[in-house]
Amino acid sequence: MSFSKESAVTRAKTDLAERLGIDASSVKLLSAEDKDFPNSSLGAPVDDEMSAQMISSGWKIMLDANGKNYEYRADKYQLRLLNFKGANIIVTS
Amino acid sequence: MNRQNFIIHLAIAVVLVIMAAAAGQMRHWQKEGSLTVDHAVKRSTPKPTAAVRGAADREPEVLVKFRREVSFDDIKKIAAKNNDNVEDEIESVDKLVAIDDMDGQSAEAVAEQYSKMSNLVLYAEPNLEIEASPLEDLKTVTPKDNVNPADQPNDPMFSDQWALNNTGQNGGKRKADIDVLKAWQKTKGSRKVVVAVLDSGVDYTHPDLAANMWTRPDNIPVYKDDELGTIPDLHGFSAVDDRDPMDDNGHGTHCAGVIGAEGNNDEGIAGINWEVEIMPLKFLGRGGFGTTKDAIEAINYAIERKRAGVNIRVINASWGSTTYSKALEDVIRAAGDEGILFVAAAGNDGSSNDSRPHYPSSYNLPNVISVAALDRVDLMATFSNFGVKSVHVAAPGKDIVSTWLNGEYREASGTSMATPQVAGIAALVLAQDPKMSVQKLRQKLLSSVDLLDTLTGKLENAGRINASKVLGN
Repeated sequence: MSFSKESAVTRAKTDLAERLGIDASSVKLLSAEDKDFPNSSLGAPVDDEMSAQMISSGWKIMLDANGKNYEYRADKYQLRLLNFKGANIIVTS
Repeated sequence: MNRQNFIIHLAIAVVLVIMAAAAGQMRHWQKEGSLTVDHAVKRSTPKPTAAVRGAADREPEVLVKFRREVSFDDIKKIAAKNNDNVEDEIESVDKLVAIDDMDGQSAEAVAEQYSKMSNLVLYAEPNLEIEASPLEDLKTVTPKDNVNPADQPNDPMFSDQWALNNTGQNGGKRKADIDVLKAWQKTKGSRKVVVAVLDSGVDYTHPDLAANMWTRPDNIPVYKDDELGTIPDLHGFSAVDDRDPMDDNGHGTHCAGVIGAEGNNDEGIAGINWEVEIMPLKFLGRGGFGTTKDAIEAINYAIERKRAGVNIRVINASWGSTTYSKALEDVIRAAGDEGILFVAAAGNDGSSNDSRPHYPSSYNLPNVISVAALDRVDLMATFSNFGVKSVHVAAPGKDIVSTWLNGEYREASGTSMATPQVAGIAALVLAQDPKMSVQKLRQKLLSSVDLLDTLTGKLENAGRINASKVLGN
């Protein structure tokens, strides 16, 4: 699977809705901006993960659901949810 | 003028521009005869044939180096879209063109306009006319250590490799490099030295790498592991997917090019080693991340191949995390016991590894070197981790051009890019002294730096590694 910024946003909204058990239409996009991350884990490594230490371009996606903000990070190969219930999550890779 | 003279004169002209820029002396020429070195030095490009701005003696305004994949037809279209005119293609440098602005902008503005097109353009600079420096200044351009320009490789992108030879190009600082030209007077590497690139694989078909890739010799049987079974390893090892160490990310190929892109082959870049054997050990997937377990599996493969007679002396590890693994530490120690140096990236969080370790670079093992990244003006890159107790040395790691997937080349930044500079220099040393112990090799590398005040209190050895010093020049 290969992401564009738009498809990453769509997938992030769907993912968050599923995790929270709400309708995707109630998840609002706050921002989706280009961003350089410190490594290939997009600065959001999961446990036991090693990543290439190369500055990596991607997108920071901020969503709102039920008045709470959630941060996703994506590049063309992956989508990650940052610090959800205390842990980073790889949504799709 | 014949082609050889043109190239020499073009080189001199570029050097003069750089020197003048550094001294803040750039200014437009007032008259034709003010150049005392050579008439042709000033004219790095032919006069424009089009009547622009009514000034018949004006040079094209901007020199633009487009990326390799941009065709000349596209370059002309891009220029036309900007209401500019491609005055000349500088054939001796791939995709370098002289562009003349048609609507009265300053050269600086035009250069900035093209520089912003970073997906298409490697660099753009005003074609400033400069006052010739005195001839004695020219001598200072010739390295004082008797490195002749003829000793430079013919790889067309070598002039972009500031890490190897920083002449001040693109705003760099002269000599803020690993001083490899002088090192090459002693050795340019050896195919008897195997460097394992533990990464996302390597594009072993890349035209600038293929000649320096390790291939399993006939006398070494295909790899068999008690648990994993038989693993085809003709081109190296892969712990992921289909067991093919072909790179599908690009990161490993980039690191491999820094270490050992074939030198002086009239193609792309020059590796620190013109000759070497690069063994891909793939454990990072397409996204550039992987598991500790797969890293261990790959290192274990390297150890077993070393024991079987493959002369693996260096592992390049341009990756990491803050997760500690005793098992990973142990297998790296075991590699050291087999005489394998493990060179690792310090990490890109811009933080201190003394207080928040980054592994594997923070393992306190006698075969581990942790590498921080410098930019082209000898400052630590803002992203680079540091640590006076745990990060050992610095090397160039920002805007590093190297090999990429599909025969391409790409600039990348990170301690990932600094790490193979050190691994590559280690391989040069081993080409010169194949029997050197890993302890002595490490000590030699870490004691051969150009000290930098800005790194004091940040690194154990507060300097930039110097290949020439390592080799005893």
